[in-house]
Amino acid sequence: MNTNRRLWLHIRFTALFSSGLGYVVDLIFNYGVPWFAFRTLAVGMTALFAFEVFAKWPVKNMLGIPRWVLQVLAVGCAVPLTTLVLWSFATPLKEWPFWQSGDRLMEFGFVTFIGLLVAPWMALGVLVRQKDAFAREQEVAFELTRSQLERREQDARLQLMQAQVSPHFLFNTLANVQALVDTGSPRAGLILRALTKYLRSAVPRISQDSLPTLHQELVSVRAYLDLMQMRMPDRLEYSVTGETATEHIFCPPLFLMTLVENAVRHGIDPSETGGRIDVDVRRTGSCCHISVKDTGAWNGGKTHGTGSGLKTLRTRLKLTYGKKAALRLQYIEPNGFLAELEIPAEHEPA
Amino acid sequence: MTTALIADDEPLLREALMRQLAKAWPKLEIVAQARNGREAIELFELHKPDICFLDIQMPGMSGVEAAQVIGRRAHIVFVTAYDQFAVQAFAAGVLDYLVKPVEPARLNETIERLKDRLAMTARAINSKKLIEELNCQLQNSSSPEYLSWLRVRIGIKVHVIAVEDIDYFQSEDKYTRLCWRSATETFSEGLLRTPIKGLLPQLDPNQFVQIHRSAIVNLSSISHVIRGQNDTGTAYFTGCNKTLPISRAHFSQFRTLL
Repeated sequence: MNTNRRLWLHIRFTALFSSGLGYVVDLIFNYGVPWFAFRTLAVGMTALFAFEVFAKWPVKNMLGIPRWVLQVLAVGCAVPLTTLVLWSFATPLKEWPFWQSGDRLMEFGFVTFIGLLVAPWMALGVLVRQKDAFAREQEVAFELTRSQLERREQDARLQLMQAQVSPHFLFNTLANVQALVDTGSPRAGLILRALTKYLRSAVPRISQDSLPTLHQELVSVRAYLDLMQMRMPDRLEYSVTGETATEHIFCPPLFLMTLVENAVRHGIDPSETGGRIDVDVRRTGSCCHISVKDTGAWNGGKTHGTGSGLKTLRTRLKLTYGKKAALRLQYIEPNGFLAELEIPAEHEPA
Repeated sequence: MTTALIADDEPLLREALMRQLAKAWPKLEIVAQARNGREAIELFELHKPDICFLDIQMPGMSGVEAAQVIGRRAHIVFVTAYDQFAVQAFAAGVLDYLVKPVEPARLNETIERLKDRLAMTARAINSKKLIEELNCQLQNSSSPEYLSWLRVRIGIKVHVIAVEDIDYFQSEDKYTRLCWRSATETFSEGLLRTPIKGLLPQLDPNQFVQIHRSAIVNLSSISHVIRGQNDTGTAYFTGCNKTLPISRAHFSQFRTLL
């Protein structure tokens, strides 16, 4: 609970309780105007004031007295002092001071007695409740961090699973590099550079200096598609659009890559004629829409390991964003597949 | 003169093998280059080469499937980037294979063996049985244990739905109606052409349970079950007011699971 709300709660409660108590007395003594209620209200509010002041002041705890003792003592002192002041000032000018008038002395005694009986105990009660609430808050906060840490750890484990570079892909690419190096082709450098960029994202990163962004993800996706296009120039065309709006948006590694790799593996790879892959990223308000569309074959059962990458991606999405993210998949007639991913456009992980 | 065919879907790798062969075996004539299994067979029928170098993973028809068609009419050398398949057949030395990128020493060994075989017999020794075995391994490596995705047609769209998002399947004549919820907790329905009987063995029994002759439910979407008379019951789903009856025959089985 925040401090302001708590203070209002205390004020409301004290006001109601003290004026209520005074009003009962008013009713018993049949006073026409509820003088008592006003006075007890004043006493209650002063006591509360003392209580709240000593909750903050002195900032450094001097004398080694525990703060709660200070607060209870302050409340205990505030009650008779306020009553004394009230009754002194409430005496009309030409009358005797109240301690010489039996009735009003009795009133004074009564209010002081009740105040001393009730107020410090109430202060103690509030302190105990506050302590409990504080402990609970800490527990909740601790639980939250723990679940956050657990989720991150779980995600890291899944990421490790997803980050397994397919040996088939790797050795085929290396064979291409070898072929280009053997013939002294200037393209050898390009393909090697693209491979390095791709591997940097595909190999699990144990520690990370900065938060992974969608931009980084798009850089690796581009490198991967470049690479595949060099390997099968007659079968793959691609486009990546809309990067500028997404520069700093948080995106866990391999979220987008999984979709693109799937499009290549299940759409382009099995197709004799190949096809094209269009990656598009756009931002509308607080939401980021990512779509990966291909015109490949997707001939069902014949593809290898269908769905395990997507399954891991789904689990990771749930861990990272809960219900704030969505993944929609659909086949396109007659050829192709469309994967749409919606993630919150946040700059920090949830 | 000895003739050969090379099949690989990646042009750079075809060229690389051509170059290496030209160096190591100048007398070999490469009569055809194929980009996939289907082309390999077409070109094989056209040129009838003595040797076929076949990449295992190619679009459409794989190298192994092409080898099955070619049979013993040519000596077959498989080329693969990663020998995850078929280790036994290869290790026995019955089938020849090369690993990409191709090592010159390894290529020379293969060439020597091919020359020996060409001199010895008229027919290739690649046994049909071994190639079939290879093909089986290739196919099996991709079959998942249980379904994790389903294709559902709604109008002209074919959606792909994660099985764990599905609340229940309900039999409807020859078809199966299924209800699922998306990430934003909206409910949708669709029809599958598979009858419910054919679906059950493909679903993870720890998650999906049959509760009626005509219904299979996802255990994690059930909020509670109310017991009725004679060991029957009604299943309620979280987040929607849909209910399904549990039949007597399936109630006991269902109870042990909960």
